[in-house]
Amino acid sequence: MSADAAQDEYYHDLSYREDAPRVRTRADIELYCESTGDGVAITTLNNFFFTAPFWRDYTGELAKHYRVVSYDLCNHGHSTRLEQEPTWEEHATDLIGLLDGLEIDSTYLLASSASTQLARDVALAYPDRVRGLVLAGPVLGPQGMRRHRMLQRSWVRTLNDHGVPILFSHMYPEFVSTQMNEDYGSAGFLGLRESFLAMSTPEELINGLTLAQQGDSNPALLTRIQMPTLITLGDDDILLSPTAGHELAALFPNGRCEIMPKAGHVPFLDDPEGFQELVRKFIDEAEANA
Amino acid sequence: MPDTVVKARQQIRELLVDVFGGPSFVDGVHDAVSLREAGLPSTALVALLVAMEDAFGFEWDDDVPPEALRSIESLAGHVAALRD
Repeated sequence: MSADAAQDEYYHDLSYREDAPRVRTRADIELYCESTGDGVAITTLNNFFFTAPFWRDYTGELAKHYRVVSYDLCNHGHSTRLEQEPTWEEHATDLIGLLDGLEIDSTYLLASSASTQLARDVALAYPDRVRGLVLAGPVLGPQGMRRHRMLQRSWVRTLNDHGVPILFSHMYPEFVSTQMNEDYGSAGFLGLRESFLAMSTPEELINGLTLAQQGDSNPALLTRIQMPTLITLGDDDILLSPTAGHELAALFPNGRCEIMPKAGHVPFLDDPEGFQELVRKFIDEAEANA
Repeated sequence: MPDTVVKARQQIRELLVDVFGGPSFVDGVHDAVSLREAGLPSTALVALLVAMEDAFGFEWDDDVPPEALRSIESLAGHVAALRD
C-alpha cells in the first residue's frame, strides 16, 4: 500500500471541536456533543473504546440525509468526569437529557458492541424517545451474554496486569477481521494502536469494561422492544456467528439481521460505505412504515 | 549524533511533508516532541509508518513499543537501531 493510499484508508480526525456544545443532562453533568446534518435524528452510542469524533468517518454519508448526533458518555472523553462511573440507568438518563437539550423528540440509536446494551436499556425505559435501533456487532446474544462478559473480564485482567498497549494487542485479533488484519499489516496495527491510546485512559477503560459486565443479560428483554431493529453483523465477528445473529434478530418483534461479508466485530470499520447504506435503507423503510 | 540518525530524522521530516501535502505541520515540530501532542492525527501516523517501510526498506513489527513511535527522534532511533 502506498503512503497516499494509507492516508486515505487510515486517516481519522479524532480532534475535538472547540465550538461543539456541552449539553447539561443532570446536576453538574455536561456532555460533549456534535450534531451534523438535518432531519430524522440518529444518535450514536460510544462503546467505551470510541470517542464522539471517531464516528465522523462512519456517519458522513448518513449526515447528508439525517441529523447525526454523537456525544461522549459521562465520565468519558470530553464530558464531565466523576469519581465513580455512572450506572447504565444514569447513562440512559443522560441520553434522554441530551435529547431534551437538543430538542430531539425521538431518535434512532446507533450502537456498537458494549453500547448495544445501553441502546436496549434506553429502548425499554424510554420507548417514546426511540424510533429504532441499529445494533452493530451486538454484545447481546440469543441465549445470553456470558461469552461476551467472560471476554470483557479477560480484557480487564490484561489491562490491569499489562497496561493499555498490551490490552490492544490482546483485543485486536478479536475485534478486527481477518481481511482487515491482513490488509492493514503491522503499520496499520501500530497506527490504530496509537488511535486507541489517544482515545482512552486506563481508568476510562476499566470503568467502562467493568460496567459492561453489569446489567440484566436476559434475552427475553429483547422481546419487549417494539421499535424497528437492525442488527448489522460481520460474518467474521468471532463473538457472534451469523446464525446467532439471525436468532438474536428473531427475538425482536420487529427485528432483522444483515450480514456484512468478511467484516469483524466492528463491521463499519471494514466497510463504512456499505454499513451506512444498510442503515439508510433500514431507516428509510422504517420511516415509510411509521 | 551518528550520521545515520541525522539522515533518518531528515528523511522522516520529508515523509511527513508528503503525508501532510506540505511543510506546515513538520516545520513547527521539534525532533523530540511527541507527535501526538503536536497534533499529528493519530491514524495519520499509519501513512508515515507505511512510507517509512518503503523509504527505509524494512517492515514494522507488531511488538514495537509505543515509545518508538512517539517522536521524530524515536522513530529515527528505531531505524538506526535496525541498521546497526
